[in-house]
Amino acid sequence: MEPSPAKGKPQGRLLVSTTLDAKDELEERLERCVGIVTSLTNGLSEREANDAITANVCKGPQQHEEVCLGLFALLLTEPPQAQRCYRDLTLVNRDGMNVILIKINQILMEKFLKLQDVCRTQLVWLVRELVKSGVIGADGVLMTLMKQIAGGDITSKNLWLAENVLDILLDQREWVLKSGMLIAMSVYTYLRLIVDHGTPALLVLRQKEVDLCIGLLREKFMECFIIGRDLVRLLQIVARIPEMELLWKDLLHNPQALSPQFTGLLQLLTARTSRKFLACRLTPDMETKLLFMTSRVRFGQQKRYQDWFQRQYLSTAESQSLRCDLIRYICGVVHPSNEVLSSDILPRWAIIGWLLTTCTSNVAASNAKLALFYDWLFFSPEKDSIMNIEPAILVMHHSMKPHPAITATLLDFMCRIIPHFFPPLEGQVRQGVFNSLTFIMEKRVLAHLAPLFDNPKLDRELRSMLRERFAEFCSSPSPPTEGRDEGANEMKMEESVSLEMDNHVLLDKEDGCYDNTEAAFSDDEEEVNNKGNKKREFRFHPIKEAVIEEPADITPYVDQLDDTMKEKVLQLQKGSDTEAHCEVMQEIVDLVLEEDFDSEQMSTLASCLAELFKGHFRGDVLPDDITEESLEESVCKPVCLVFRNLCQMQEDNSGFSVLLEMLAELYQKQPKIGYHLLYYLRASKAAMGKMSLYESFAQATALGDLHTCLMMDMKACQEDDIRLLCYLTPSIYTEFPDETLRSGELLNMIVAVIDSTQLQELMCHVMIGNLVMFRKDSVLNILIQSLEWETFEQYSAWQLFLAHSIPLETIIPILQHLKYKEHPEALSCLLLQLRREKPSGEMVKMVLSRPCHPEDQFTTSILRHWAAKHDDVLGEHIKALLIKNNNMPRKRQSLRSSSSKLAQLTLEQILEHMDNLRLNLSNTKNSFFTQTPILQALQHVQASCDEAHKMRFSDLFSLAEEYEEPSSKPPKSRRKAPASSPRSRKGTVTPVSNEEESASSSASEEEDSKPKAPKRKRKGSSAVASDSD
Amino acid sequence: MTTETHVKDIKPGLKNLNVIFIVLETGRVTKTKDGHEVRTCKVADKTGSISISVWDEVGGLIQTGDIIRLTKGYASVFKGCLTLYTGRGGELLKIGEFCMVYSEVPNFSEPNPEYSNMDQMKNKTVRGNDTTNGNGVNSQGSGSSTTPPQGGRAGSGVGSRANNPGGTTVNGKETRRSTKR
Repeated sequence: MEPSPAKGKPQGRLLVSTTLDAKDELEERLERCVGIVTSLTNGLSEREANDAITANVCKGPQQHEEVCLGLFALLLTEPPQAQRCYRDLTLVNRDGMNVILIKINQILMEKFLKLQDVCRTQLVWLVRELVKSGVIGADGVLMTLMKQIAGGDITSKNLWLAENVLDILLDQREWVLKSGMLIAMSVYTYLRLIVDHGTPALLVLRQKEVDLCIGLLREKFMECFIIGRDLVRLLQIVARIPEMELLWKDLLHNPQALSPQFTGLLQLLTARTSRKFLACRLTPDMETKLLFMTSRVRFGQQKRYQDWFQRQYLSTAESQSLRCDLIRYICGVVHPSNEVLSSDILPRWAIIGWLLTTCTSNVAASNAKLALFYDWLFFSPEKDSIMNIEPAILVMHHSMKPHPAITATLLDFMCRIIPHFFPPLEGQVRQGVFNSLTFIMEKRVLAHLAPLFDNPKLDRELRSMLRERFAEFCSSPSPPTEGRDEGANEMKMEESVSLEMDNHVLLDKEDGCYDNTEAAFSDDEEEVNNKGNKKREFRFHPIKEAVIEEPADITPYVDQLDDTMKEKVLQLQKGSDTEAHCEVMQEIVDLVLEEDFDSEQMSTLASCLAELFKGHFRGDVLPDDITEESLEESVCKPVCLVFRNLCQMQEDNSGFSVLLEMLAELYQKQPKIGYHLLYYLRASKAAMGKMSLYESFAQATALGDLHTCLMMDMKACQEDDIRLLCYLTPSIYTEFPDETLRSGELLNMIVAVIDSTQLQELMCHVMIGNLVMFRKDSVLNILIQSLEWETFEQYSAWQLFLAHSIPLETIIPILQHLKYKEHPEALSCLLLQLRREKPSGEMVKMVLSRPCHPEDQFTTSILRHWAAKHDDVLGEHIKALLIKNNNMPRKRQSLRSSSSKLAQLTLEQILEHMDNLRLNLSNTKNSFFTQTPILQALQHVQASCDEAHKMRFSDLFSLAEEYEEPSSKPPKSRRKAPASSPRSRKGTVTPVSNEEESASSSASEEEDSKPKAPKRKRKGSSAVASDSD
Repeated sequence: MTTETHVKDIKPGLKNLNVIFIVLETGRVTKTKDGHEVRTCKVADKTGSISISVWDEVGGLIQTGDIIRLTKGYASVFKGCLTLYTGRGGELLKIGEFCMVYSEVPNFSEPNPEYSNMDQMKNKTVRGNDTTNGNGVNSQGSGSSTTPPQGGRAGSGVGSRANNPGGTTVNGKETRRSTKR
């Protein structure tokens, strides 16, 4: 190299630089372009200048780019000229601002930190102008700009940026609402930033941010839903802000108020967060550095890199909040290849360990732990990746020796998060954590968990808590401290002591809600017996607090009752005749309804009744032969007397609420009473038309809400009695459409347990009109949820759907979610349905949107079928799509497609599918490809696509070669079409200088073809590559 | 001339070196009599680490983690340690940060008795003929130096240091400054 002397190096006008900094190629290039523009316009009047620029732009693509970039750079560096430059740019550019968008992206991703203040201000101004003009691709640029707002940074520069981007989003709200990804990204970004803006000085800003988020969440909830479970994480951190609190109320109790497709928190929590969002809260620089550490730095060599990173990003008090972003990023985005995993490269858990140990605030530490375990809580092996949960287990495993305190605090957190994360979902969280641990062993991340859970380095209390919650993971085939006798003995001692304590705790806590046959706490010390408990632990445990003894023993309670009541209860205990029981029961109900009944006794009474009647709750409810008599007989149990009294009472009667209270108390002790009530309301003649009583009941329970209560009862019913579940299904769906029709959860409960006979019965119910399980507005969402289910479950869901007569159009968008090999059930059902339809524009578009895969014949099969049956319709639709997509500049499309995970239609894809169809039809007599619309469209496309595509699809295009349009017009009609049309451009380019030409064209090619991420990587690796030999 | 030398291949007396390295440590500033600041930084590439002596303004701009390209550098022995310098017409340019792998060992600037001997030998030859100095720098600094025998050769400071421990930094630095002029 021939470096010029450091002295006298002129300071560029774009970037801040010191004498130490190397020249910046991009800056130099932009300044050269400024020179070109200035020399073109120097001394000319505005009008002449305009003509001069326009004339130059027409000379060729290189001149076009130079002028655009020159104006762009002027705009950035000369605020007084900015307006004029922008106007000129809009007039002169002929690529929809593409060159500029690419350059902005490049500056944002690579140079933003070094940008001079003036340029930074101007750049934000420019983005605002682009947004105002509605330039296609401006949403992408705005998202990249948003990424530059660093988390955990309240320096004035960063605040300025946060505020200015916020203003754009607020001012251009209408435009924002058009882009789903932008909505989601804005919400994710600002929900996160709100956390940093809690100081009094920033409250005005924070209020604006809150307004933005609340507005978008309320108006476009389903757009925000695509974020996945991390949306809940962020919302939880800011839940104390009053507006957010209100939103939480709706999230929990009134999900449909947010969106009809939204069934509740669980739906969101089970949706894995897309990497895009996890990545968007790291600036490009942070991302580059973290990726470098996890891909190149060897384990043991990380210290300095960590120090440097910490110095730059984690040294202030505000920056504590950034740790969560980093941890989520490492768990969810950084997924090293197997090659890296088996090498000596710095493992992810080591970085996490570092982030945890350097955490200084308690709040930040607990948020960081939550971030680390977040994918555990609702982990499902089918949906989630082992890579997301691996760091947590490994950091615990590897810290045991060097930092047992870290392991202990994480294990403690893991135990406590189960009941505390969200009590109503405790069962699911437990299941999620169990799933995680099971999967971790299955995947051999760790072969045994016992050495981790039952390690003498942990204190006694923690170990007993672990044993209590994770009994089946605590036993190992060989004792963990094998070979160290002393240690082993000591451990045994500790164990026996702690177990005694356990029993006391367990007596209060143990929850055996649906099956009372075994008392878990008695067997804990024996590993063998632990196995027997396994089933229990995996089950759904919605409500705690049930107290269980073996024979009906009400002695602890009965003395607390007053004398009359006590007498009745004892009568119940003695008698064995159902009829007599019923009579006594009626008397008890009457006592309860008396005015002087002391409501404090309700709970005790309920305990007695639950205990006495526990026999009724075992075994099947539904008679084997369903006849009027048998049904009537089945609802004559003493418990049903409470139900009957309730049915007979007016709702405004004061006794009504007393009875509800009684049932609610009973429900606490005996959750099965919920579905028994449903059964009673369905089966008993006395209850005809009173199904809605169940809603009153649900509201009176501790759950307090119909949806949750119904789901739990149906779940309990599913576990106990599948026939009853099927029997209840039609009335549940009919009576509570708002709760059921949008609930994928309920449908899954049903299809998960029914057999084919029951399926067929349900289908008949549907066709007869007794049962409606799907509605237009929610069916799509449910079918999408069903993609995660077992094969038979999915087929059943589809059969049930097909039994309804909902137009196929409604669910066509599901195609975007269907991946080849991952979703064969849905694909085959859909294929068979599509072939019965006449293709609509939407159908063709969706079918063509499928990514091309050599083995995936879905699109070809259906196109072939349509080409044979509806060739004219299909032809017109394809033509429309080809022309539409052809007019959309491809480059911008690639910019945007990187921001959406759904399959998107690209021109290339259409052509590829067409080509497959052509090959498939080649030996048939089908004349699909001779139709005029197809030929027109092919010509149209061929005229404007690039050489690579022409080559690739030459056979396809050759079909249209001989076709001549009646009145042919130039392929692309734009101003100065002859000069700028891609064809003629080729010949006329006269390079100004070879060096420039090759440099700029190669640069622009690279920029065009590569989206952001690879570019960043390229930057990282180029610095690295230079030292590699 | 654009090929880069690896740290492991840097030997005393080599000149015209182009080296790319990452900065691991920046040392304390010492001031020379005539007001120049000098810092010794520890830098490394994947083959090992070495000390570099950095002068004046640039030294203040260097941060640990910076990836820097040295052009026209030279190496010589200072206080028995191999040290890297910027030669005349050479410069230090920051070309990146953070993203470079390095190995801290071997540290080629660890005191090496061999070098001390070499140094003394070299000192003699240097004194004999300034202009042929392997560093490509002319010494005109002898006048400003408090210890005239050093003769302004950066790498030659060792010999004299033995006699005058207190003034070594000054000497080394002084000499280099003068070469740059």
